Amino acid sequence: MNNSFVVLKKEEMPTQWYNILAEIKMNPPLGPDGKPVLPEDLAPVFPMNLIEQEVCTDRWIDIPEEVQDVLRIWRPSPLVRATRLEKALDTPAKIYIKDESVSPPGSHKPNTAVAQAYYNKAFGVKKLTTETGAGQWGSALSFACSQFGLECKVYMVRVSFDQKPYRKMMMETWGGRCVPSPSPETLVGREVLARVPETPGTLGIAISEAVEEAVSDTTGKTRYALGSVLNHVMLHQTVIGLEARKQFEKIGEYPDIVIGCAGGGSNFSGLAFPFVYDKINGKDIEIYPVEPKACPTMTRAPFGYDHGDSAKYTPMLPMHSLGHDFVPPPIHAGGLRYHGMAPTVSQLITEGIITPRAVTQLESYAAAVTWAKTQGYIPAPETGHALAAVIEEAKKAKEEGREKVIVASFSGHGLLDLGGYQKYFSGTMTDAFVSDEQIAAVAQILESNPQPDMLRSFQ
Amino acid sequence: MEANVDNLERRCPRLGGDVNFGYCRSCGEGQSPCPKIFDCWWEYFDVVAFFRACSEEENPGLLGSPDPPKPKVASLMELIHGAKSRLAQASDI
Repeated sequence: MNNSFVVLKKEEMPTQWYNILAEIKMNPPLGPDGKPVLPEDLAPVFPMNLIEQEVCTDRWIDIPEEVQDVLRIWRPSPLVRATRLEKALDTPAKIYIKDESVSPPGSHKPNTAVAQAYYNKAFGVKKLTTETGAGQWGSALSFACSQFGLECKVYMVRVSFDQKPYRKMMMETWGGRCVPSPSPETLVGREVLARVPETPGTLGIAISEAVEEAVSDTTGKTRYALGSVLNHVMLHQTVIGLEARKQFEKIGEYPDIVIGCAGGGSNFSGLAFPFVYDKINGKDIEIYPVEPKACPTMTRAPFGYDHGDSAKYTPMLPMHSLGHDFVPPPIHAGGLRYHGMAPTVSQLITEGIITPRAVTQLESYAAAVTWAKTQGYIPAPETGHALAAVIEEAKKAKEEGREKVIVASFSGHGLLDLGGYQKYFSGTMTDAFVSDEQIAAVAQILESNPQPDMLRSFQ
Repeated sequence: MEANVDNLERRCPRLGGDVNFGYCRSCGEGQSPCPKIFDCWWEYFDVVAFFRACSEEENPGLLGSPDPPKPKVASLMELIHGAKSRLAQASDI
C-alpha cells in the first residue's frame, strides 16, 4: 500500500451518512413569531423528505442507491499525504489532505447538491432555484440537477456574475440557467431594479428572488435549495469524514488533529463530524474549524476605566476598551460570533468539543502558495485557511519533536478564483492591524478617567 | 477620507470576488452595512473609528444596540412570508 495516496474502491464508499444530531441537543429553530418552526412552515421551499431529514435524530441514515451512483463519478475521493510539504517544513508530522477538489465542479459542494437534487426529484419536484455568490454552489447544483433531469435556475449576485463569466459557463454547460440578480424575472428583482437600475446586487436580494420563484409556483413543482448551514447539508457532507476514517484504517493510522475551513460550516462538518463521534466516544483528538481572523476588540485595546455604554449611564468599569462609544457589532457578541455558521458547529464549539482557530488573509494566502509550490495544486482561498492552520501545527510538531498525524480538508481548487492571488502577489493585501497611533488616541482619552490597579489573583 | 475608503477593494468571502468598501457599507439587509464588515476590513484600516465618525443616519443601528442576528431557518421563514405577501399584493392589483 502506497501511504502517500490512499484510495478506496468504488464499493468501499460509505453507504450511510452520519448524523451529529444523534449526539447533541439543539434548541429548536424559532420562526419570526418566536414559536418553534413546524415542518409545514418550510414546505413552500423544501420537499418534505428533506425537511424530515433536517429534524431527524437517527445516528445513521442510508444514502440512497441513486445518490451513491452519482457520487461514485468522483468518490471515494483520495486521501493524500503531503510528503513534499512535510519535507519543505522539515516536520516530523504526517500531513494528509482529503481532496474534495476532484469533484466535477471542483469543490465539496456537490456532496449535498446531489442528495438534494435526488430528494427533490423523488418528491416530484421538476425545478430547483438557488442563489450563488462565488458560483461554487450554483455550479454544484447545476451539475446535480443535470444528473437527475431537473431544471435549475441560479440567481447570481450581479457583481459576481460580471466578474466570473466562467462560473456562469459551467452552470450553463450542465444545463442550468444562471441569471444576474436582481433580475426582471421576479417581483422583488423588478422592485430593486426600478429603484436602482445599476445596482451590483446583494446576496440578500438573490436569496429573495430564488425563494420567491419557488413560492410563486402554485403547481408545487419548484423548490429552493441551500448549500450550507442547515442540518441536512451537514449530514450529506459527512461522506467526506467517513471515507477518511476508512482510509486511515487501511494504512493503520489515525489523526491526532483534524482541520477544516469553516465558513457556513459544511466543509468542516463533512470531514470533522465522524471524528467528533470518535472524540465523544473517547478518542484523544483535536478538532479545529478555521476562520478568518476577526476584528480585534480585546487583544490590543488599552485597559482602563470606562463607561460600558455610549450614553455614559452605566458606572465606570475596568475593561479593555476601544472607547465607550464603541459598541461591538453583533458578530462579536459572545456566542453570536458564530451566527453565520451551522448551528451544529456552533453547538460543538459551545460544548468545547471543537476549538475554533483564526488566521489572517496574509497567513492564508502564504499557506496556499506554499502548498502550490510544494504539492502543485492551487487551493481555493478558503482552503488556504485550513492549510495555514496545518502548517502552524506541523511547525509546532517540529518544535515538540512529535510525529503527529494531521488531516485537513482540501475543500476546493482555486483555478477560477485567482484574483486574490493576484492581489497577494502585488502586495496590496495588507495586514494593517489597528495602528499604535489609533490605540494611543483611545488610551489618551482613558487616561483622563481614574486608573484601575492591575491586580493578579495568581502569581 | 470617506470617498477614499469607499474605493478600497478586497475579496469578499461570500461573493468570491473583489468588492469595494462602499459596497460593503450598503449590501446588508435594507441597505445596511454587511454584518461581516468589521471582520473583513479591520486588516486594511481602522474601520471602527470610521464608523464612530459617521452619523447615525448614515449607518442606522450599526453602532447602536443591534438586534441579534437571525438564525437561518428564521430568516428563511421571513423570506417565505415576504414572497407570499408580494405575490398576494401583485395579484390584488
